[in-house]
Parts: sequence; structure tokens; C-alpha cells
Amino acid sequence: MNGRLGRALRRLAPGRRWFVIAPPYVWMLIFFAIPFLIVLQISFAKPIIASPPYTDLFTRVGNELNLTLNLNNYWALLENSKYAGAYLSSLKIAAISTLLCLLIGYPIAYAISRLSPSVRNIALMLVILPSWTSFLIRIYAWIGLLKDNGLINNFLQWVGVIDEPIRVLYTPVAIYIGIVYAYLPFMVLPLYANLVKHDQRLLEAAYDLGAGPLTAFFRITVPLSFAGIVAGCMLVFIPAVGEFVIPELLGGPSTKMIGKVLWEEYFTANDWPRASAIAIVMLVLLIVPIMIFHRYQSRQLEARLS
Amino acid sequence: MSEPVHHHADVAVASSAIPATEAYLRIEHLRKEYDGVVAVDDVDFDIRKGEIFALLGGSGCGKSTLLRCMAGFETPTKGRVLLDGEDITAVPPYERPVNMMFQSYALFPHMSVEQNIAFGLKQDGLGKAQIEARVAEMLKLVQMEKFAKRKPHQLSGGQQQRVALARSLAKNPKLLLLDEPMGALDKKLRSRMQLELVDIIERLGVTCVMVTHDQEEAMTMAHRIAVMDTGWIRQIGTPDEIYEQPNCRFTAEFIGSVNIFDGVIRDDHPNYVTIASPAVEHALYVGHGITCFEGQQVALAVRPEKIVVSKEEPAQAHNKARGTIEDIAYFGSHSVYHVRLPSGVRVMANFANTQRWASERYTWNDTVWLSWADNDGVVLTS
Repeated sequence: MNGRLGRALRRLAPGRRWFVIAPPYVWMLIFFAIPFLIVLQISFAKPIIASPPYTDLFTRVGNELNLTLNLNNYWALLENSKYAGAYLSSLKIAAISTLLCLLIGYPIAYAISRLSPSVRNIALMLVILPSWTSFLIRIYAWIGLLKDNGLINNFLQWVGVIDEPIRVLYTPVAIYIGIVYAYLPFMVLPLYANLVKHDQRLLEAAYDLGAGPLTAFFRITVPLSFAGIVAGCMLVFIPAVGEFVIPELLGGPSTKMIGKVLWEEYFTANDWPRASAIAIVMLVLLIVPIMIFHRYQSRQLEARLS
Repeated sequence: MSEPVHHHADVAVASSAIPATEAYLRIEHLRKEYDGVVAVDDVDFDIRKGEIFALLGGSGCGKSTLLRCMAGFETPTKGRVLLDGEDITAVPPYERPVNMMFQSYALFPHMSVEQNIAFGLKQDGLGKAQIEARVAEMLKLVQMEKFAKRKPHQLSGGQQQRVALARSLAKNPKLLLLDEPMGALDKKLRSRMQLELVDIIERLGVTCVMVTHDQEEAMTMAHRIAVMDTGWIRQIGTPDEIYEQPNCRFTAEFIGSVNIFDGVIRDDHPNYVTIASPAVEHALYVGHGITCFEGQQVALAVRPEKIVVSKEEPAQAHNKARGTIEDIAYFGSHSVYHVRLPSGVRVMANFANTQRWASERYTWNDTVWLSWADNDGVVLTS
């Protein structure tokens, strides 16, 4: 499209860069903003036995348009300790799991980043490969491993280390194992991406100035990988708070996580407004770490650009 | 390597700039192999206290490997490194009294200028007041007091270099290593920093080994230079020894530019030597005796600035040749004439442009005479 026609068309078009910028915004609008507003709206409604099972916020009586906001759903979250307990337990489980992921994932990421480039890619594949199979199947597999007459207990009894099976399945320990196992790649990958870029001469400079390997690691490598640590922790912590499948399959009835409570409200109690309120509060709780994460990332980016 | 040839009987070996004479750093028959590939081969030399010593060579000549053996980042396959009488071959880098200024500096990006300089001092477990005093002293030494709180990425290349120098000197090392110290600086800044760096090092009296591929840098900064090639040391000497008395073809050609006339020894007298070269019609004459035999294949190296260009035939009977000017390279301060001899050999001759229009005295296709004095050529036997 050369010449006059092309120029004329180009002048008519609303700037070509909009074709590049618009899709993510349209995507966010359709798949995030609108559903979010719907959930927010439901959280202020009343549950009724109907389809859909909640009242409209707007009612029209004659020429009056009435907006009814039902705050009971949020009030109930405050009043009933069941919810606060579930939130706290979720945050606690997510925090401990994140810490465990960091402690296990950092050495893994560090070791991979120090391998020769050819071996490195194989090692990375080994980290990523399990996620190519179904998440559900992998969590089910842990039941087979952890149950009283499962693989691990049977093996330990066969070796003679224990006489009676250790009860792990349907305890909080099983939830930690499941979460750490499932989210470890999300910790390893951002840490690896950070560590592999480190300039080895900085470590040599530290040794040269009298720092032993351990001091050099904690004074140079760890501070310089802070962005990777923050990214990895957020990628584990945020989804772990709302995790439903793992506590449902591996945890016992005593461990309440907010994802499980939310499920019960939606599908067992059929109380959509209550469930929506739970979801909104969880979102608000998670926005804080997400904002810390983004602020840190943009600061890093600015430092790199200047 | 063959025996070095003695050219001038009257040249003293030691330079007056070198304070002490006994070995302070001793590299003993050092050899380093990587998977069977030899990087450094049987290198053996001494460095005196307070000396600035340069390892000069092209990439892959083994100079950096040798430096890394001194720093402790590499363990020699064979041989020893002795510093101040102590064998440090197996001592890890963090326990050596040796500090290095890295190529492109390797400043810690997450630490301020002060924290970078204090890093080494903290490892020694010094008190806070002591560290602060020493950091202030170092900042003053490199004139960076105003930049103490800055991060490395907020500094220019020259400022980063000053911080790197301060950091490597803060612990008062017995040996300072400089890895391509000017590599990251532009040309103008380079020549200024070279002199400033030497000034600081000499003021502190610290013994220093530097690695560089830049001969000008080595000549400007070092008291002595070791010319390295494929893991070997070809020659060790003061800058003028390396330049005026190269002991082999490699050194002669590596340092500066040179004309090399291949030939055979015709007369081998105790007081003079003549060489017959197919490149030049007249015999080549060297005004002192050398260790050689008649009929031996040798080469005579003559630097372009030793060659005099003239219109008339010089009076001397030797060391002259006639040719036509093929190319002129004008450098401002001097011009280099490329003169083709009847034998087909091209000879470079410098002409100092001491007068404004002097360079116009000769032009392309002029027939000129080239000549040099009896002692201006160096006989190379290897």
C-alpha cells in the first residue's frame, strides 16, 4: 500500500500503535475488570432461593430507582470467627510455605545458575517438566505417597526405621508438602533468572577483599538477588493464600483455608453474596503484597534505566 | 627460548626508578594448564619491593592467567608464588595480602562508594571508628570525598576507577594487582589517569603488577615490563630496554614499529659486524661485536625514527639505501614515509615535522636516500 491511498488510509486509522497497546487493555477489561465488578455487586446483595440466587442491587418503584447495599455479608465476616480464623490460617500456611519454598528453592536456583550452559538447560527442564502433567494428578499422587499404607510409610516400615505408619495425610504437614511441592518452580524460576545474570567478578572482588565464600554469599549474592527473592515469594504467596485443591485433597477437615470456606459458601450453602464478600476481602488482603511487589519491581527498573 | 643477545656493552640493567634490589614477589617456574592446554609455561621472574611491573601481551598470551595466579583465583599446575618470603601458592584469595583492581572495576552495585571501600576493612574486623577514618583517608587520596554516598552507577568511568583503586588500596596490600586498569576509559582520560595512578602508587610505595595489552600504557606506567607471548615471557626489561634492545623478533615487532632486514653475518669482528642482506645493496654495519659466527642467519631491526631521510647520498659507506616514496602517513607531529627499495622491500622512516612546512620537502614518487648510524640497528638472532 504505497502512495497516496496508503497515506490517506494511515491518516484515517487511529494511530497504529493502538493496535499494539489495545489488546492487553481489552483483555483486562473483559476478563478482569467486568467480572470483578460483578463479584463486587453480588457481595452487596442478599441471598435468595432463585436463579441467580441473589437480589438485584437496583430496584425500581414507579419512577424511583433504589440502590440497596446489603453490608451484612461483610459484617458476618467480622462477626463470625470462623472466617477470621480461615483468613489467618490461610495467610499463615501461605507464609510458611513461601518461606519453605525460598529455603529449598534458593539453593536449587543457585546450583542451576552455576552449571555449565548446556547442563543448565537440562536442569531447568527438570524443574519445569512436572508442570506439564495435570496439577490434580500430581496432587492425587501425593495421597498415594503419604497415606498410612502409602509408598513412604511402607518403605520406612520395610527398612525398619518405624514400626507404625506416620500419620501425615490429612494433617497440616501434608498441606505444606503439597503447596511447597506445587509452587516450588514458581520460586526457582525467577530466582534462577536473577542469579544467572550475576557478575562472577563481584564474588571474586569480595574474596579478594578478604570475604570468605559464606560472607561473600550473604553480603553480595543475596542482596543482589533481592528482586528475584521478592518475585519468587509473591508468585508463591499470592496463589497459596487462595489455594483450594491442595487443602481439600491432602488436608484434614480441621484445617480451614479461606479457599475451602469460599467453596463451601458457594456450592454447599449456595450463599453467593457471602462467598463474593469473602473473595473481595481476600483480594483486598492480597493487594498489599502485590503492591509491594510492583513498587519494588518498578524501582528496580528505574535504577536499571538511570 | 634462546640466549638473549648483548648489543650494547655500556647499558646498565637496573633502572634508577626501582628502589630495592632483592626479590619481593617471586614467581617460580610457574605453569598453568587448563584441560591440557598450556596457558602459562614455566614463567620465572622476580619483582622488587615498590616496583610497578607490567605484563604486556596480546589476548591469550597468558598474562591474565598469571595475574589470577597471583591473586589466588587460579592454582598453578606447577611452580610457586612467593610474596615477601612467604609461599602463598595455596593460600585462598581471601587470606592473601594481595588486592586487585578488576577490569571494569567490579564495584558492588548495591553499595555506596564508602561501603565499597569499607568492605575489605570490615572483613578484617576493624572497629567502626577505624574503618571510617581509613575510608575518609582513601577518599581523600583519590579525591572522591564528595562522592562518598553515591552508588557506582551514578559515577562516571573515571570516578569508578578512582573508587576501585581506593577499594584495592584500603587494606594496605603487600601487592596491588591491576587488570587492564585503563581498559574502560576513553583515550583522553586514559593518559591523564595513567600518570595519576602511578603517582598514587609510587607515593604509597606499594608493589604493583599490572596486566595490559596496550604497550603505551605499559611504557608510561611500569618500571619494568615483561613481554608475553603464548604463555612464555619473551623479554623482561625497562621500557627503553624493551624498545631499544629487543632480544627477539617478537618483541621488536610487538613494541612499536620496526624495519627488519634479514641477512647473514659476513664479517664477525670483536668490534664490529657486517651483515649482507638481499634487501639492501650496501652492507649493513653494526658498530659493536656480538656473539655470532660468520654465515649465521640473523635479522637487523631498525626503528623508523632512527632512519634519516635525505635527497643527497649520505657520506657513510654502510647502512644506506635508495628508494622511492610510495606512501606518506601524516601524524601531525611526524610523518612516516614508506619507501620502496629496488629489492622490493618497503622501509618505514619517520620524519619529525619540527618546521611547519618541512613535510612538504618530500612527496610521492620522490627518490630519497635512507641511512642510519652504526649503533642504531639491533641484531636479532631469534
